[in-house]
Amino acid sequence: MKITQGVFFTGYTTLRIEGKFPEFFLNRCVENGISVWNVKKIDEFTCEANVRLEDVPVLKKLRSQLDYKIRFRKRHGLPFLLRSLLKRRSLVAGFVLGMIAIFLLSNMVWGIKIEGVTPEVEYKIKENLKDYGIKRGAWKFTIETPGQMQQKLLADVPELLWIGVTEKGTTYHLEGVEKTIVTEPEEGGPQSLYARKKGIIVDMYVEKGEPAVELNDYVESGDLLVSGAIGREEEPTLVHAEGEVIAETWYKSEVVVPLNVQYEVITGEKETHYGVQLGGVRVPLWGFKEPEFKRMHEEEYNKPFYLFKWELPIKFSSKEISEAELYKESRTDEEALQIGVKQAEMELKQKIPQNSKIITQKVLHRQKENGKVKLILYFKVHEDISKPQPITQGD
Amino acid sequence: MKKWQQRIGNWLSQQLDLPTDVILELPRITTIGQIHAYVENHKGLISFSDEELRLKLKQGQLLIKGKGFVLRMMLPEEILLEGTIHEVTFIDQNG
Repeated sequence: MKITQGVFFTGYTTLRIEGKFPEFFLNRCVENGISVWNVKKIDEFTCEANVRLEDVPVLKKLRSQLDYKIRFRKRHGLPFLLRSLLKRRSLVAGFVLGMIAIFLLSNMVWGIKIEGVTPEVEYKIKENLKDYGIKRGAWKFTIETPGQMQQKLLADVPELLWIGVTEKGTTYHLEGVEKTIVTEPEEGGPQSLYARKKGIIVDMYVEKGEPAVELNDYVESGDLLVSGAIGREEEPTLVHAEGEVIAETWYKSEVVVPLNVQYEVITGEKETHYGVQLGGVRVPLWGFKEPEFKRMHEEEYNKPFYLFKWELPIKFSSKEISEAELYKESRTDEEALQIGVKQAEMELKQKIPQNSKIITQKVLHRQKENGKVKLILYFKVHEDISKPQPITQGD
Repeated sequence: MKKWQQRIGNWLSQQLDLPTDVILELPRITTIGQIHAYVENHKGLISFSDEELRLKLKQGQLLIKGKGFVLRMMLPEEILLEGTIHEVTFIDQNG
């Protein structure tokens, strides 16, 4: 039955042949390469048979040569179906419109649910989300990914300790954890202050407790500074020792500063191109011309489209092309030294307590090799070295 | 002349183990029970009705009788008949 394979798609018709010896006409058809199937004899002078739509012109030619009456009785197959569908234009239009509506609605944000936070914070989060453009009715492919949202919210809402954003179809679920501000107990348990690191005591301010060291004393890490046990030695009263013990401490740091540097700076000129990513191919929609930048920095974001909950292989892509400029800088040894010192100071400040002071700085070693300056620096710092440690009462 | 040709063909098909229907242009009729008859190598349709099918052969005719006949497929040298087959007869032109 090979000839009837796929005839539904190409279309076929049922014809009725009338005349003397309809078999003869069938013979002629077959000789001319027309495939005929489902031949039925109705009566002596009539036959019914199916032929392909593409064979109809040949058939008509044959009809004109021979003395037979041919009538097309039924039309089958896709071409005829499509034709009849086209006649009902409103039906087709409705279907297409419906598909478009489903597609558009699948790509919209329909709901934002915030859980786990107090109403005030919830309101704040909502306001912030509005600023980012995330609200009911926004296009999903124009807004950020949940990860970016998370970071932005954490930065903008200080009350939040953590926030999780999950995308479920057309709704965003936000689950937050608020920071609980714990007020420290006024009166702690008995404790003493010990040295955190070695240094020479330069200043002491003891609120409570018995100082165990004096000014200009050298202390090692772990030495007792202020004792929480006051009064007579046999029967001491235990208190919550408090205070600041400022000591001079020393730091050594090593920095390497290159003499020649190159870096790219974005000038602020930028162009955004929009397009659609179809499989692996990018079809531009807006912005066809490559900008005339000498150097540029490209960033591409892709957001998929959705149909119901399924991700389509089509993605909305926006490409940001920013103009960049290359800066070359060469430094003299002296400049390199200053930069190195500054860099080392910055690094040091991150390590030491906030209210510490860098007193002096000295270059111990300076070496130039392979276009780099290697520095070993020495710092003197005044910082609070006290570290509280509770006194365990041995009964 | 024709006899001689046939004899050569016969000999060839025997010696070379070729199917006889190809060499001698004879019809090959395959029936599936009573419901299908598949005829290859015929030389044209002579008459067809729902009770009878007559085909031209190289020599003589082929007559198939039965009821409820429908030609499922018709190609230049092949025919697939469907229906209830009662008898298949070869009619010699000379006889």
